[in-house]
Amino acid sequence: MSKNDNGLPELIPQYAIAADEQANETPQGLKMGLCLCATCKKVNALTEQYCSRCHSPLSARNYASIQQSWALLITATILLILANIYPITLLTNRGVVTNDTIFSGIAHLVKSGMFPIAIIVFTASILVPWLKILGLGLYLSAISFNIPISKRKMMVGFHIIEWIGRWSMLDLFVISLTVALVNMGQLLDAKPAPAATAFALVILLTQLAAKVLDTRLLWDRLETHDDTN
Amino acid sequence: MSEPKSFKAVILCRSCDFVIRKRALPSNVRALCPRCDTALYDTPYCSLNGLLALCITALIVFFPANLLPVLEINFLGSVRTTTVYQTAVEVWGQGYWVVGLAVLASAVIAPALLILSILMQVLIIKLNLRSLFWQSVYRRLLKNHGLLSQMTMLEIYVISFLVSAFQLSDFSDVYFGMGTLSFTLLFLAILFLQREYNLEHMWSYVHVEK
Ligand SMILES: [Zn+2]
Ligand SMILES: [Zn+2]
Repeated sequence: MSKNDNGLPELIPQYAIAADEQANETPQGLKMGLCLCATCKKVNALTEQYCSRCHSPLSARNYASIQQSWALLITATILLILANIYPITLLTNRGVVTNDTIFSGIAHLVKSGMFPIAIIVFTASILVPWLKILGLGLYLSAISFNIPISKRKMMVGFHIIEWIGRWSMLDLFVISLTVALVNMGQLLDAKPAPAATAFALVILLTQLAAKVLDTRLLWDRLETHDDTN
Repeated sequence: MSEPKSFKAVILCRSCDFVIRKRALPSNVRALCPRCDTALYDTPYCSLNGLLALCITALIVFFPANLLPVLEINFLGSVRTTTVYQTAVEVWGQGYWVVGLAVLASAVIAPALLILSILMQVLIIKLNLRSLFWQSVYRRLLKNHGLLSQMTMLEIYVISFLVSAFQLSDFSDVYFGMGTLSFTLLFLAILFLQREYNLEHMWSYVHVEK
C-alpha cells in the first residue's frame, strides 16, 4: 500500500528503473557527482555552488541537520509534556471556574457522549504530536546510533509524520473559535491557558525538526547490507 | 563522471539520493522511488487557464469567507458571532500571541498569499514578462510555493468548525452562516488549485542559462 506525501488519493505506483542496477553498490547521487537542489529539485553537478535553475545555494549533505533536528525535537518534547500537564483552557460557568487540560477536555467530551468528536480531538491533540515525536526520535536515533531498522519502513513513517503533523493545529483553531464566541462574563466565559502557547510551539518545532533533517544521511550509511524490505 | 547532457535523463530521490533513470509517465501516474517509496514526479503539466480560473474563484470567495461570521452562538438570548480573523485577534488580545499568530498565518495570511502568488506566476507567464526583474520575482515565488502551500491549513479549519459546533452545542444554540459556506468554498477552491498546480511544470518556464 503506497502513500504519497501530498495525501492525495492513491495513484498507480509506477516504479522507476534504477540507473545502475548492474553495479552492486547502490547508486547514490553523491557518488556519481550529482547534487539535487533542495529548493527546486533540479539535478546539478556536485561541483556547482548554486543551482542553475533557481540560484539557491547547493549543499551535497547537511550533516549539521542531525544536531539541529535533535535540538528541536528535545525542546518540543519538553514543551509537549508541559502542554499535557498545564491547563489549555479556562472556563467560567455561572461563576465557577474550571481549568481544562487536553486530557480533561477529552474526558468531558466522552462523558457528554460525543465519541466521534472525542476521537478527533484525541487524535489531533495527543496521538499525532506524540507519534510525531516518537517517530522522529526513532528516525534520528537510527542515523545517530546506527540502529538496524528497515530504512524503507522508516522513510514511509517519516512521510506520514510529515503529512499528519499539521493536523495538530485543529485544537488551536477550536480553542480560538471558542474563546472568541464564549465571552458572556461571569455567566459563561472561555479563555486560553498557558498550555495553548506550549502546544503551538510544539507544532512549530516538530514541523521544523522534520523539515531541516537531511533524510539522505540515513541512506548513505550501511549500504553494504541490503535491506530493501 | 557524467556530462551535463545526462542530467536530463537522470533524477535523484530527494529523500534518499537514489539515482533513477527518468522516463515519461502516463497521466495520473506517479513515479515512486524504488528504494524508499517517496513520490518523485508525475506528469509535469497543469493548465494555466485552469489555474487562472481557480485563482479568480478563490479570490472572490476569499472576501466573504473572511469578512462574514463563520460561527454564531445564542446563549440564553445573548448572541455572539465571530470571523476567522477575529478569533486570532481575540486570543492575541488575551496575551496568547503565539497562538493568535499561528491561527492568523495558517487560516488567513498563507491562503491569501498562496492565491496571489499563483495568480502572479500565471500572469508573468501569460504576459510574457521576460525582463530580469520579473524573472527573479518568478523564481522567488516558485521557491516559496512549498512553504505557503504547507502553511495553508483550511481543511483543518473546516473540520474545526464542526468540532467547535458540537462542543458549543452542549450549552448553547449554534448556527452556521454565509461566512461558513464561503469559507468552505474557499477551502474547496484552494484544494482544487493545489491539485491543479504543478511546481515542476511552473519551473519549466524559467529560462536556464548555460
Ligand atoms: Zn534549484
Ligand atoms: Zn528514495
